[in-house]
Parts: sequence; C-alpha cells; structure tokens
Amino acid sequence: MIRFEGAAKRHPDGTVAVRGLDLEVPAGRTTVLVGPSGCGKTTILRMVNRMVEPTAGRVLLDGTDVAELPAAGLRRGIGYVIQQAGLFPHRRVIDNVATVPRLLGWDRKRARARAAELLELVGLPPETARRYPAQLSGGQQQRVGVARALAADPPVLLMDEPFSAVDPLVRAGLQEELLRLQAELGKTVLFVTHDIEEAVRLGDRVVVLREHGEIAQLADPHTLLTAPADAGVAAFLGRDRGLRGLGLRPAGSVPVAALDGRIAYEGWQLVLDPDGRPEHWLRGAERHPAPVFVPSRDSLRSALDAALLAPSGHAVAVDAEGRAVGTASRAAVVEALAATGPVGAPLPEQVPHAGR
Amino acid sequence: MLDGEPLVRWHWLGDHLGYLADLTADHAVIALVPVLLALLLAVPLGLACARFPRLYQPLAAVFNVVYALPSLAVFVVLIPYTGLATRQTVMVPLTCYALAVLLPTAVDGLRAVPEPVRQAATAMGYGPWRRLAAVELPASVPYLIGGLRVAAVSSISLAAVGALVGRGGLGYLFVDGFQRTFPTPILAGIVLVALLALATDLLLVAARRVLAPWERGAAR
Repeated sequence: MIRFEGAAKRHPDGTVAVRGLDLEVPAGRTTVLVGPSGCGKTTILRMVNRMVEPTAGRVLLDGTDVAELPAAGLRRGIGYVIQQAGLFPHRRVIDNVATVPRLLGWDRKRARARAAELLELVGLPPETARRYPAQLSGGQQQRVGVARALAADPPVLLMDEPFSAVDPLVRAGLQEELLRLQAELGKTVLFVTHDIEEAVRLGDRVVVLREHGEIAQLADPHTLLTAPADAGVAAFLGRDRGLRGLGLRPAGSVPVAALDGRIAYEGWQLVLDPDGRPEHWLRGAERHPAPVFVPSRDSLRSALDAALLAPSGHAVAVDAEGRAVGTASRAAVVEALAATGPVGAPLPEQVPHAGR
Repeated sequence: MLDGEPLVRWHWLGDHLGYLADLTADHAVIALVPVLLALLLAVPLGLACARFPRLYQPLAAVFNVVYALPSLAVFVVLIPYTGLATRQTVMVPLTCYALAVLLPTAVDGLRAVPEPVRQAATAMGYGPWRRLAAVELPASVPYLIGGLRVAAVSSISLAAVGALVGRGGLGYLFVDGFQRTFPTPILAGIVLVALLALATDLLLVAARRVLAPWERGAAR
C-alpha cells in the first residue's frame, strides 16, 4: 500500500506543484490519477519512487517512508512505465526487458529467460525478442515497456500516461491487455492519465485532481460518472455520463430468451453457422449483420448497443466461444437498465471541500 | 613546373614503392594515434561534462581556441618542448585538434539520448554515473563515430603540414617535390593522403555498422 501524508512539492522558484496530498493507494488495486495537464499528477506519481522529493509531508510504501530507502534500490522494486516507453535504443527488446533483473544481479541467462516469459505475458511474439526498439510499432514498444516494468515482479507499478502516444485503436487494445494482466497479477497500480475515459475504464478507484494536486473527487468509476462531486468534476467528465456509466455495469442481468428452433422476429430470421455462431439476420433477400454481446463479460452498454443495431431489435447473446445462446430484445435490455436503480444523483448544493 | 618534366614519372613510383608504403604507414601513425588519444580523453571528459554541465562551456572554449590556432604556428611553438623532427611535435597539437572535434560530439551524443529513455533508466534504478556508462554512452556511439570520421580525416590532412617541422609522413613528399621541382612525389602524396583518408573513413563506417547495429535496424 502507498500512502501520501500531506505530501507537497514546491519548486525552488516558489511555484506550487502539489499543495499537500493525503491519499491511500490500496494494495492490489488500480488507482488512477486523472486531471488536466499541470494538476501535479505526474509529480505525485514520481514522489513514490523518489524521482521527485516532497518538500513537505511524506510518502509511505508499506509503512516505510520512501525517503529513508536508498533511491536506486527503491526504484528497482517499483515498475515504471512512461508515455514514450523510453526503451533503450541500443539494446535488443529482450535485454531491455531484462534490465532490472540484471541490475538486481541476476545472471544473463536467467534474466533473459525471465524476459522471454514477460514478452509472452504481454502478448508479443517470440521473434520480437531479437529486435531493436526502433523496429517495433508504437503499440509494441509500449508492450515492451510494460514487460520491462514487470520483469522483476515488483509489487508496485507506476504508469505515467503510458498509452497516450499511441493511436486510439491500439490504445484500446493496450488498455484491454492491462486489465487482463492486472486481473492475473493483482499489482498495486498507480496510473496517471489526462483521459477521463481511460481512467474510468482502468481504475478500480479514480482520483480526479484539480490544480496543485488537490483531490476534487475520489470514487469508483461508476459513482464518479453517476454522482460527480461538483460541477467542475461533472464538466471534466463530459457528456453522456449516464450512458457511459452503463459501460461499467455487467450485462449479466439482461433477461435472455433461450433459442428454440428457428428464431424470427418481424420477419427477420437469425442464421447460424454449423457451429452455432450467428452469421446474420435474414429477411427475404435482405441480409444484416447480427450484433452480439457476451452476458458474462460485456457491459449493459454493449447489450443495449447490440439491440439498437440489430434490424430485428434483438441482440444475440453468445457464449465465450461466440456460439449463440439466446436473444435479448430492446425492451429486455431496458428492463435490465431500469433494475439498476438510479443512474444519476443530484449535484450537491455546495462544492464540497475536497482534499485538504 | 619545369618544361619537359612530365607530371608523373611512373618509373620513380615503381622504384620507390617500399618508401611510399613506409611514408604512408608513418603518416597513418602520426595522424591517427592522436585521434585515438583524443577519443580516450573525449569520452571521460564528455561524461564529466554531461554529469556536471558547468564544465562544458569552459572546456569547449579552450579547445575551440586551440582549434583556431594555425597548425604550423603550433608546430613551431612546440619545437622547444618536443624537439625538432620528433613525432610528438606533430602529434601533440593533432591530439588537441581531434579533441576539439570529439569533445562536442561526445557531449552532444550523450545529450541526444531522448529524455524518456533517461527517465526510464533513472526510474529503473540506475545511479547517475552508471546510467551514463550503461545507457547514454552506448546509445551515443553513432554520434561518436560521426565525430571520429571528421576528426580522423582532418587529422590525416593536417599531419601533412607537420612535414614542415621535420615529421609528416606523406607530407615529406610535398616538401621534397617542391624543393626539387619534381611533381611526381607531390602527386603521389596527394593521392596517398586521399586514399588513406578514404580507407580510414570506410573503416569507421564499417565500425559503426558493427558497434551500432540498432541504427541499421531503424532504417529497415
């Protein structure tokens, strides 16, 4: 667990980066710091591994003030991923990943074996190991950056806008990958971003910051979207909060009508392939794609989206292998929506005094 | 040139092959040993300048002034200390000239390492010196070799001037040719200096391919 106790950073010229932060970052969860540029989020992140020394207050890592730990040793025990990946241009991918184990004194063979495991873990094909960073795409470089940060199996992972320099499609893939990794590894992740969408997607807890590292709101993503602490946070969250909040709710509550024989609604018939995977909706000579959702994995938003897009008005529920298990009408999805209770909460009368 | 004297007397070349080879080897030593010495000095000085940036400006100023001095004048000034016609008379100033080229390239190369790379290295637990040695220095090899190419070629050309104070490898051919108004050795000297410079440059390009293989990869 990481704990900030009145941690402040004042630059020598008198400007204040962080006024005084009290924050607990629970172990094994992902905590996202999000806020506009200049809100001090990177400064806060770097206080953890002493790349920034607080001018007041302290930062505790598992109860120990990090200022009492030797900087190099502390850093070798904390994974760090930055925006441009920051890979060493002169080292092959495998040796980039093996950096921290080598610094910790592992022999080359063992460090490389570990690095190869990590490359596999982050979904890179084995042949990338021999390449140099400049031969990889931005997304691949970022994966290497994540693998490198994880190489010595540090309990804490600091991530400073790691995905903001790649294009949106690649970014979505990397986010997905991080969620999968985190489900598997359960690291204490402190993640910095200016992208609220990313924060809501990745965080177990989201800390919305305003100037000088003051906490505007600390909440789980759903609460954040549905009950922003004040108008400022609401504005930062942007439009369609209710709808986006649905993206965080599981689709498991949607009532699914079992498939029996031929499925047809309003003349549209669902055509399955021999394995039972939906191919398309068919009416006469007209064919339309059949949007699907996975009740156990997807969100209510995906289910609603699939129902809205289906020409028959029925989303097809599929299992993890993509085989159709049933259908859900728009009405059924809305019924599930209604059962989720209030999606929003009124704005408080007064802006609460957050932070310190 | 005298009337009737041909530009090249081929039989002279044929008779003096061994002599020309000796002069070329001598020239290579006089010109290139100072470059190597300068490299050995430039790397630690460059690292020190990268670690303590305040050092750089005064050091660069000193070597720039040295670089501005006419080589012949420096050779002559050094004679009382190193003696006439010794290798040192020529090699000491050549080392300074090479250093004037290599120090800025070393420092620029170390500085050219992208900031995220430097930060990542720090964040992974490299101390400042170790980071310089393990990350910035190897990453700056292409720069250093670029500087070496300039320094080596200019040193090969400057070394010829050293003949005027008694040592100069191939430069001796120019002195000899002018004194005897005999163009053959002069032309031989020009060609050999050019060939030596070319060979050195090619060697350095090859060295760069071997020592900085990631650069090739990047071009793919």
